[in-house]
Amino acid sequence: MKAGPASLWRDRLAFDARAAVLLCAVLAALPLVITGPYAQGIILVSMYFAILSLAWNALAGYTGQFSLAPAAFAMLGGYTTALLDFYWHVPLVLAIPAAVVSTALLGLVLGKLVLNLSGPYLSLTTLAFAEIARVVIGNSHEFTRGDQGMHVATLTESRLAYYYIFLAALVLVLAVLYFMLRGRLGRFMTAVRDDAIGAESRGIDVVRVKMIVFCTSCAICGLAGSLYGTFSQLVSPELGLLQQTGLVLAMVVIGGMGSLTGSVVGALLVYLGSEWLRELGNVQVIVFALLVILFARWVPGGLWSAAVARIGRKQA
Amino acid sequence: MLRLSLDLLANGLIYGCFYALMAVGLAMIFGVLKIVNFAHGEFFMIGAYTYVLVALNFSVSPWLALPCAAIGGAALGWIVERLLMRPLYAGYASWGFMKDEYAVVVTFGLSLLLVNLVDKVVGPYSYKGPALIETSRFALGPVMLTGQKAIATVVAVFIMIALALFLKKSVWGKQIQAVAQNRLGASLAGIDATRTTSLIFAISGMLAALSGALLAPLVNPSPDVGSFPAIKSYVIVVLGGMGSVWGAMIAALIVGVSEAFFSVYGSYDYRDAFGLAILVLVLLLRPQGLLGQKGRDV
Amino acid sequence: MNLLVVDELSKRFGGVAAVNGVSFEVREGEILGLIGPNGSGKTTVLNMLSGFLPPDAGRITMDGRDVTRMPPAGLAQAGILRMFQMTRVFTRTSAFDNLLTAGMARGLSEAESTRRAQSLVEELTLGPVQHLDAGQLSGGQRKLLEFGMCFIEAPRVAMLDEPFAAVHPVMREVMAKFIRARHEQGATFLLVSHDMPIVVDLCQRAVCMNAGRVIATGGVHEVLRDHQVIEAYLGETHEGDEPPTLEVST
Repeated sequence: MKAGPASLWRDRLAFDARAAVLLCAVLAALPLVITGPYAQGIILVSMYFAILSLAWNALAGYTGQFSLAPAAFAMLGGYTTALLDFYWHVPLVLAIPAAVVSTALLGLVLGKLVLNLSGPYLSLTTLAFAEIARVVIGNSHEFTRGDQGMHVATLTESRLAYYYIFLAALVLVLAVLYFMLRGRLGRFMTAVRDDAIGAESRGIDVVRVKMIVFCTSCAICGLAGSLYGTFSQLVSPELGLLQQTGLVLAMVVIGGMGSLTGSVVGALLVYLGSEWLRELGNVQVIVFALLVILFARWVPGGLWSAAVARIGRKQA
Repeated sequence: MLRLSLDLLANGLIYGCFYALMAVGLAMIFGVLKIVNFAHGEFFMIGAYTYVLVALNFSVSPWLALPCAAIGGAALGWIVERLLMRPLYAGYASWGFMKDEYAVVVTFGLSLLLVNLVDKVVGPYSYKGPALIETSRFALGPVMLTGQKAIATVVAVFIMIALALFLKKSVWGKQIQAVAQNRLGASLAGIDATRTTSLIFAISGMLAALSGALLAPLVNPSPDVGSFPAIKSYVIVVLGGMGSVWGAMIAALIVGVSEAFFSVYGSYDYRDAFGLAILVLVLLLRPQGLLGQKGRDV
Repeated sequence: MNLLVVDELSKRFGGVAAVNGVSFEVREGEILGLIGPNGSGKTTVLNMLSGFLPPDAGRITMDGRDVTRMPPAGLAQAGILRMFQMTRVFTRTSAFDNLLTAGMARGLSEAESTRRAQSLVEELTLGPVQHLDAGQLSGGQRKLLEFGMCFIEAPRVAMLDEPFAAVHPVMREVMAKFIRARHEQGATFLLVSHDMPIVVDLCQRAVCMNAGRVIATGGVHEVLRDHQVIEAYLGETHEGDEPPTLEVST
């Protein structure tokens, strides 16, 4: 048991931040050891998922809003950039931030829609939103080429450069979330999660908190989707499949919902694991779906809480 | 014009019956546990596959394969409840106090698991389900039907009536209603609430599986065949009022008919988005649905 | 001086008037008891006063300001704080963090909240459990924690909803001591309670409700001896019976 009058939330967050910095440093140094472009590509994609996981964790793990739309917002961000590039030849320097802005606004809309909903109602509505978005994009052949997807310009042909672009984005997102969590907003987020009515009765503007977090979370998803689109030079409705959201859920649940580092670790493990399992015979979704269920049922704090408990016991 | 409308109406009602079969189980689960089962579509799928595989591999009459599907669905429902749903009400603190969210994650994971498991084990191709009756098209008044559709509808209606009687008259049925209204009170009155909940899950699974089996000849099941019926079920349950069995039945018919009309007069591609849009609208404007209860406790 | 004025408050549910033209004032620096049998509408009044239920009719005024339709967060910022019958704490953060969050929600800086939280923890005897998640605390400890969250920044009016229900006698004493201490410093309370000895002990004045209306207002002893109040609680009396009393000698 920790002694002293220090706030536990601050301590947890500080520990989390230190671990995250360490992880990012490792990721930065990794290409020195892992030089093959295929392997680098895998880590790169897992960083894409790490960003999505962080966004979803902020919304669900910290604020209690279990949206089923993160993948859909990545798709929407990707398509914003793709459409701007294709029709108006907007340079990526503007088209990528535009994706962030558009998904932030859409996130605001979604947040407003689900303001008074909770639990299954909220999940259902966000699911409906996500599926509607995907179906509409998939069917708008004249504008989006439907299921075939659209070509997108790219920032650079170098995979290594993209590796560091994604790493930079990851670090940026971690920093943004860290500063959000560290101040009053972070406390209010968890208050809304634990007891929204209680939070309201203590003076917390629950509506404002929810809107800010929705907006930020969706914008982060949009950023990830946009970057990914420029990396793979293709966006398609497959980005927004419910299966992708399922993967994000798995990453956060397995990694641990109560921490930032846990989300990144979960993303890395799940994606790397899934690549490995794909070679074994396409069983990756089965395995991870199973793991999600097992973790949710029996190890609810994820790997992070298990690790923290271990470290705590060692210190005691 | 009239001919087409009647045809659409008839088809809409027919599909509505199937939807009802599927949605009622979901409504029951929500009524008791206040959760949405995101794996509901997979019970449909398991039922469809059980029916098809039993009929094809064991060369039995499709009429025997039907109860097999029902049993399969019931068994799966029972197992899911026993293994995974306890934390919702057994006083567990595993997810602390976020029970709704636990249900979302677990049932969502289960859904992905089942779809991909079947995909892996049976294969991703769709199967042709044997029809219950080999009559081809015939006319019923101004409407054209196939034998399968007609018979399946009759079976579905029969099951719904049996269910309604079961809930109203049988001992178990009354226990289910009691637990749905007040879990604590019911257990204080001596009803085994956990056993009843297992029963509800089993019934829900059975109904969805039967729905899948009856529709198998019409939709040719593939591993993800359950996802659209599931979404329709959510729409129906929300429209009818979460937890209201009667509401689900009525809403199912409404959805069936409006879907039929929309797919012809509106847009075929967007008919699923149409259903989802209804869901969003209902949740926003009248979250208690047609027959549900409104509540905000402090 | 009237701090909180309730004027002809009404609320119907379906066809039933749960609250029907209720009026009373809470004076600055007093502990006002709101009593009445089950179903009399006390909790509904409380829900309206704390912004969770919009009244059908009537006005609520605080410090002269009309706050009738203010949402709960706004009321809290204005100093109307409420404690719930089923304690509401932030279950997955530590008890200490609960206090911090409550303080910061009212506008205090983190440093100031920390200072006040530390002294509150001592006063409420929550020292040993301050680092546990609030969800792990016992019922009584949670109530104490809620007190702390309410008082980390002095409220204008603290509305307590059955705070002593199902609480261990030792905890009860701590809570009563806390209330008295704050009262001496000038705090104002609205206490909804069934516990007559406590009401007599703590309150100066009382308002009694029955079936949605106010049936008696005045000094606490007066109200408890009021004929109608006794009938409301105990049923009708008959001629020649020993006159019943709601006051129990402690």
